[in-house]
Amino acid sequence: MKKEIDIMRLLKRLFDLDNLIADKEADKKIGFKIDEEVGLLSLKRERANLLKEIPKEYADTYERVKKRYTLALAEVKNGFCFGCFQQLPTEMLVRSNEIVTCPNCGRILFWREE
Amino acid sequence: MNLASLLSRERINLELKSTKKEEVLRDLVYMIKSKTDAELIYNTLLKREELGSTGIGKGIAIPHCRSLAVSKLEIAVGRTLKPINFNAIDKKPVSLFFLIIAPPQDPGNQYLITLGKIVQICRELSKGNLINKPQTPDEFIALINEIEKKLTKKR
Repeated sequence: MKKEIDIMRLLKRLFDLDNLIADKEADKKIGFKIDEEVGLLSLKRERANLLKEIPKEYADTYERVKKRYTLALAEVKNGFCFGCFQQLPTEMLVRSNEIVTCPNCGRILFWREE
Repeated sequence: MNLASLLSRERINLELKSTKKEEVLRDLVYMIKSKTDAELIYNTLLKREELGSTGIGKGIAIPHCRSLAVSKLEIAVGRTLKPINFNAIDKKPVSLFFLIIAPPQDPGNQYLITLGKIVQICRELSKGNLINKPQTPDEFIALINEIEKKLTKKR
């Protein structure tokens, strides 16, 4: 079984990758060359591989939240979910080593490793 | 917003010894972050390069991406001692690198505005043949400041 910290790292990579794909039109407008065929295909392949590595329950949550809010992960800062800006229950704030979702918006929460 | 104000002396290295694309990207990322955060950014940057090289030609590349690993816009600048192959659009080797990493949520779209501005400044740098002119980080920041002022006047 994968450790939650490793799953979280995979989720973060998936999240960064999704943002790359989402930003490609803006990149083109600025003047960067985007390879719509080989390049994009390679990113989509990487995405599929990452999804396979993530246990189904977390992968499903990620996809479901992404469909709703685009950004499926949200940072926890000063006890707040920085996706919906609702205060999180105190008992959740000690669970930074687990994968938990915001009870209000459902985004997957992450704590900065600083 | 002033680009020179986003640059810091500690994040400008004009003497990078790396000779490979991957090494340069790593060097640049580690100027901003360390450990797992740096590796996450490095991974995303490599993927961004697969989508199309960020080498904009004439010896300059602007590797960039959004990443969860940062909470505000972060910039690092590197210049390699020898130009390296970066699969740039004009196929020419690259020696000057602007790394830009933005957080996923970016109010005011500072990321794209900054990225556009850097592209513009880089065009001026190559037009004036200025890539190798600054010898210290301070000189580099002064040069960027000067170009930025000139571009604002033109508008």
